[in-house]
Amino acid sequence: MLAAGTGGAPQTVQLLPALIPYVRFTIRLDPLGLFFTLLVSLVGLALSVYSLGYARGFYGRKNIGVLGAFFNAVLLATTLVFLADNAFFFLIAWEIMALTAYCLVSYEHEKEEARNAGVLYFVMSHIGTGCIMLGFLLLFQASGDYGFDGFHALGDRMAAGPRNAAFLLFLAGFGVKAGIIPLHIWLPVAHPAAPSNVSALMSGVLIKTGIYGLTRVLFDFMGTPPNWWGVTVLTLGTISAVLGVLYALMEHDLKRLLAYHSIENIGIILMGLGAALMFLHSGHPVLASLALIAGMYHTINHAVFKALLFLGAGAVVQATHTRNMEEMGGLVKRMPKTAFFFLVGAVAISALPPLNGFVSEWLTYQSLLQGFGTTSSLIRLMFPLSGAMLALTGALAAACFVKAFGITFLAQPRSAHAEHAEEAAGPMLAGQAVLAAACVFLGLFPTTFLRLLDPVTQQLTGQQLSAQLGLANGLVLAGATATGGTVSTPGLLLMAVCLLPVPLGLWLVLARGTTVRRAPTWDCGLQGLTPRMEYTATGFSKPIRMIFKALFRPRREVQRDYDFSPYFAKNLRFDSHVEEVFQTRIYRPLTWLVWRVARKMRALQAGSLQAYLIYIFVTLILLLLFAL
Amino acid sequence: MNPAISPDIAAQLIALFAVLMLVVQLLLVVQRMLLTSIRLFAIQSVFLAGIAAVVAYFHGAFHVYVVVALTLVGKVVFLPWLLDRQVRRMNIIQEIEPLVNFPTSMLICGGLTLLGYLVARPFTSLERLGNNTLAVAITLVLTGFFLMINRRKAITQVLALLTVENGVMLAAVALTTYGMPLVVELGIFFDVLVAVMILGILVYRIRETFASMDVSKLSQLKG
Repeated sequence: MLAAGTGGAPQTVQLLPALIPYVRFTIRLDPLGLFFTLLVSLVGLALSVYSLGYARGFYGRKNIGVLGAFFNAVLLATTLVFLADNAFFFLIAWEIMALTAYCLVSYEHEKEEARNAGVLYFVMSHIGTGCIMLGFLLLFQASGDYGFDGFHALGDRMAAGPRNAAFLLFLAGFGVKAGIIPLHIWLPVAHPAAPSNVSALMSGVLIKTGIYGLTRVLFDFMGTPPNWWGVTVLTLGTISAVLGVLYALMEHDLKRLLAYHSIENIGIILMGLGAALMFLHSGHPVLASLALIAGMYHTINHAVFKALLFLGAGAVVQATHTRNMEEMGGLVKRMPKTAFFFLVGAVAISALPPLNGFVSEWLTYQSLLQGFGTTSSLIRLMFPLSGAMLALTGALAAACFVKAFGITFLAQPRSAHAEHAEEAAGPMLAGQAVLAAACVFLGLFPTTFLRLLDPVTQQLTGQQLSAQLGLANGLVLAGATATGGTVSTPGLLLMAVCLLPVPLGLWLVLARGTTVRRAPTWDCGLQGLTPRMEYTATGFSKPIRMIFKALFRPRREVQRDYDFSPYFAKNLRFDSHVEEVFQTRIYRPLTWLVWRVARKMRALQAGSLQAYLIYIFVTLILLLLFAL
Repeated sequence: MNPAISPDIAAQLIALFAVLMLVVQLLLVVQRMLLTSIRLFAIQSVFLAGIAAVVAYFHGAFHVYVVVALTLVGKVVFLPWLLDRQVRRMNIIQEIEPLVNFPTSMLICGGLTLLGYLVARPFTSLERLGNNTLAVAITLVLTGFFLMINRRKAITQVLALLTVENGVMLAAVALTTYGMPLVVELGIFFDVLVAVMILGILVYRIRETFASMDVSKLSQLKG
């Protein structure tokens, strides 16, 4: 299919005869859509293999057929979203995707958590769809047709007002799906509540439909963007990245932690897209292509490693029957393979070389740092600022995964469940292996993969960069322009392998003559260490909680029962909370307002036949009078 | 074309019947006894059949005779009989106090008649069969609606719906030279017939459930 997309004009295929005006069920095989189709196929394959094993956990408890049916339906709908060639068809596929995903989130509907998460997802998703519909209507006003062909570069022909309105509507609509802060609130609720293979699908693929929509609209439809569009997207991306990772650090629910990391990574992708928009505005197509490539590369990278991490988390949760990291621990001995794959994912998401997260974040840095010279206005400060924030994000993400991996897999088991955990089933490991291999491949051979992105940038910005990006037969990655840096992940790996003998040799030299003594860890003179004395996830993240006190507004309650002196407590109860600012400051007042209005409106729905008749009658009379 | 009756007389006859329908409608608004209301509706339907007969005779439109026959059989005989039986079976004779008292009701209906004439004024050129027919038809619809709002007994509301339908039929017969196509008229007729039969059953159910025909009690169904 990619081959079809690379050659000449995009092919269109009509799936169903068009019976209604404007509604054509046509798919289009163009590079951008096919790139995202590649993503859904790759992740979908791994997830399907994984699900074979994972679904065993539901045997005898739930209807597996329902899970399978909706799972496949969502895969199909997502593929259609990426390939639709008509706004109506796109919206139909979009809605099928949203509804089937809702059914999957609420799959374990006997749990209240899953039901509530489903409803929240449903509501947020439809607010987003409403915005997207309005956006398409604005585009339709300008083009007179709903076909994507007619929308191409339409923005240049639109008046400024509707154009900007369409931008904001699409940003909000696709932003909800992508999970941009502050539209993200459904994400950390819905992802953990869903079965883990579904979480992986949602985080890996579904939220990427938002990115696809934004890319399609901003780069294909909207023409040359005004500067503030790029600034807005870049700012939102930066905020999402930093806040996403900060909230992730505060989580000790393994799947919620991963969900917050999705917000962070969506932020990083948006940084690429925002920078590309700014470069397009200032007339730097090469840099725009570089930033776009960075965003697209990170999109597929995030899909791969986040799906991998969710699959690992799913295996762990299935084995320990809890999502609370404080009750895990020591799993590296009981689930060594899962632990290894999780570690691969953790290294990738922490942007450590030589894995794939590093490559795309490096490309993002390159585009941001070179952006400083593209304009002389003060706006250019945005670039180094976002770069610094990206660095902060990467560091915090690494810290977060030290915590996630350390607390979950290392040390002693913190609960009986963790102690009796067993390694995941074969298909589950196979699914993770596929994604882990993809992480390594995308990290070590980026230039091979970048060639696949050439048609995409050719379509959207008219540039092909893979030749400039890959030096020395593709072993070295360069920053596209003369001022850009170079890096080589295979080289780094080689260097690490070559340097490994140095510390080994040093150790051999220095350790000569000393004897190895094995003894228990020093326990301060107490009688044996218990898991309760271990470093906790909450404890690990405390320094960061204190540094960002203004954001987290941590609250803690300590309750102490004692007989004669507080130093000899009988009971100690410790409660610690982090305030979710967006929930308490934005969404709670908003919900309250909606409820209030709804309660007022209820008076209209009195249930009285006479009242309803009067509404109709009065309307009729008023219309008659109006017509006179 | 029948030379025995001149077009002038036909128009006057139609206007007369139409005004009589309006008078009956106003009587219905202030009538409290259920059985009398049903009879008033039957009388109104007779006048409607009269108008249809005049149109059919005047234009020699044969299919309008079918409408006359259906109106006589359905609205003058069958539906009143059905409703009559229902009322007797449920053993209620009187409507309870309406929401708006009778003098005020009359005033409101006067206002609605005025509105009907105002609305009909731009269309007088369309009217081939008498000046007031369309205005009366609109007034019938409006007052029928008002009757529906003003009363509480489900039976009266069914009657009010039927008078609204009479108004619609009047407009159909009066405005178009040969009436509407027969198929449409048959459709409307059977629609109303079925609706009334279903409503009759529902009324019975409401009474069984709430021991009353008062539709304002339906709000108890609300959660």
